[in-house]
Amino acid sequence: MDPAGVFATTYQRDQALIRTRAQAIGLLLFIALMLLLPQLVGSRLMAMVSVMLITAVVVVGLQINTGHAGQVNLGQAAFMGVGAYTSGALALKFGLPFWVTIPLGGVSAAVFGFVFGLSAVRIKGFYLALTTIAAQFLFHFMILNLPSSWMGGSNGLSIEPATFFGHRMADDVSIYYLCLAVASIMIFGAYGITRSRHGRAFVAVRDDDVASGMMGIDVVRTKATAFLVGAFYAGIGGGLWTYYVRFVAVDQFTLLHSIWFIAMIIVGGMGSVTGALIGVVVIKLAQEGITTLGPTVVEKIPFLSGDVVFAAMNVFLGGIIAAFLIFEPRGLMHRWNIVKRSYRLWPFPY
Amino acid sequence: MIDFVNYLISGALIGLLYSLIAMGFVVIYRASKVFNFAQGELVVFGGFVVWWLVVHLGLPLYVGLPLAFVCAAAFGLLIERVFFSRLVGESVFAMVMVTIGLLILIRGVVLVLFGPQVRPFPIIFPLEPIMIGDIFIPRSLLYGGVLTVITGLSLSWFFNRTRPGLKMTAVAEDHQVALSLGISVRSSIAFAWILGTVLSTLGAVIYLSGKSLNFLASDIGLTALPVALLAGLESIAGLLIAGIIVGVVQGLAVAYLDPLVGGAVGSILPFVIMLGILFIRPTGMFGWKTIERV
Repeated sequence: MDPAGVFATTYQRDQALIRTRAQAIGLLLFIALMLLLPQLVGSRLMAMVSVMLITAVVVVGLQINTGHAGQVNLGQAAFMGVGAYTSGALALKFGLPFWVTIPLGGVSAAVFGFVFGLSAVRIKGFYLALTTIAAQFLFHFMILNLPSSWMGGSNGLSIEPATFFGHRMADDVSIYYLCLAVASIMIFGAYGITRSRHGRAFVAVRDDDVASGMMGIDVVRTKATAFLVGAFYAGIGGGLWTYYVRFVAVDQFTLLHSIWFIAMIIVGGMGSVTGALIGVVVIKLAQEGITTLGPTVVEKIPFLSGDVVFAAMNVFLGGIIAAFLIFEPRGLMHRWNIVKRSYRLWPFPY
Repeated sequence: MIDFVNYLISGALIGLLYSLIAMGFVVIYRASKVFNFAQGELVVFGGFVVWWLVVHLGLPLYVGLPLAFVCAAAFGLLIERVFFSRLVGESVFAMVMVTIGLLILIRGVVLVLFGPQVRPFPIIFPLEPIMIGDIFIPRSLLYGGVLTVITGLSLSWFFNRTRPGLKMTAVAEDHQVALSLGISVRSSIAFAWILGTVLSTLGAVIYLSGKSLNFLASDIGLTALPVALLAGLESIAGLLIAGIIVGVVQGLAVAYLDPLVGGAVGSILPFVIMLGILFIRPTGMFGWKTIERV
């Protein structure tokens, strides 16, 4: 809800993403902060933020697919992998520049995802989730069994850094700006999609697919489109990932990664692009915390071994998914909205 | 020719093992409408409990095994108490997502409790195979297959012919309708998870007897999914047939197709079968056909 005194007098105003002056100032400050970040923080933190931006692109796609359109997708990492391998192979074999290979990676992932989305013609609900698990396994099988001159097989693909008008993007800072630029475009696009006709169709299909079919929405096409869009985002994220790590291997895109992505939208809040971003930041920070603090804690307590850190990560992830579903199924975004509502209404209860 | 018969028999027996693992999955679905993605982890947990009691503590088999089943049942009840009893009335979507969380959580718990090392699993069935002429039958799989058939038929009878079983069937149909008919959804879900964990432990005993065990054994849970789908998620007796079909097809593919394309066809084939079923006949061979309305 809007603060007191803000009333939309036109439809344009009612649809606007930025609703108050405070929000506009906040957004500008945030953009300035992101642009200046390389001057402010060290390279370790920079790398972390870059990974967050890449993950954000992938997870926003999953949010559109799962959060908005309600199609459970356990294969987002596979879709990301398709994009990563496509961009990597195109850059390696044909020497194409990154502004061609990353979008092409997105397109190839979108086609791959669309094929699995098409199964919505026959099936729905969790059966559809099963086809995405199958996608995960098929992706691994394909990469490992295609001739290794194509996709590198089990050795993976190593690629050259991206070049932009002669500038080699090999350092953390330039790759950060690449990630920031792409992520901003994709996230802005996601806000556009979710408030468009298609976004409303997604939500209608999520809430009740039979009823929305009665209302004239082409349910199958909507579900397939949701997969197309979600996988496209995953592919773009995968392309960025290729240029970020400059080494693509099949074990970077496993079912476990897909589950991490799901955990991010559950924690952030289903059905909200901002929620997806919050989920990415919270989960990535927690992951980072466990991996950096874990070894020191293990040293302090002698009877623990180093394997405990990996195990603790699993316990943490599983626990957080379950805890959010039980105690706050609508995620942190919903909690934040409650807080916002209460301070905007203060001192009145409603 | 004798090779072919051998592939056929071992394929069918492995298929029956898949049926047993899938049975844990179907029982949970049949009594609570929850897709349990954590099936493989339940198998691993059961396996580790058996290892811990029999090998680590050194209990004799006739004490250790029953105790392991009791532990598994307690674990199932614990899962229901901690997670699912709070989710009655929430959407099935939330419950299924919780099982995805459980998949990770149980893996973590297994790693914390038992460690990532490869452990020897006790020999429960004698290792030497049965030879009839040139036909070679692995003993653990044969006994397991017989157990699977007995369990499958009796569970099928339980769910289709007895009053408590039919009550659970009603829960799988619709939680709210079941509640309004005076059926306790909670106890049904609790029973489902207890049965699911016990069946998974039985599966682990047959699968792992005389082999080695670590947390990666959970892959069999995902391999069992296609069997459940081929049978139709609601049919327990159908699992036996579906398991044999998948097992035989996989066994023959490993024997005859793998040399042609260079491996791994056998491991991917169940998923190809699964995609085929989902596209052609999503209700499987014996599943329920539901009519939807708004």
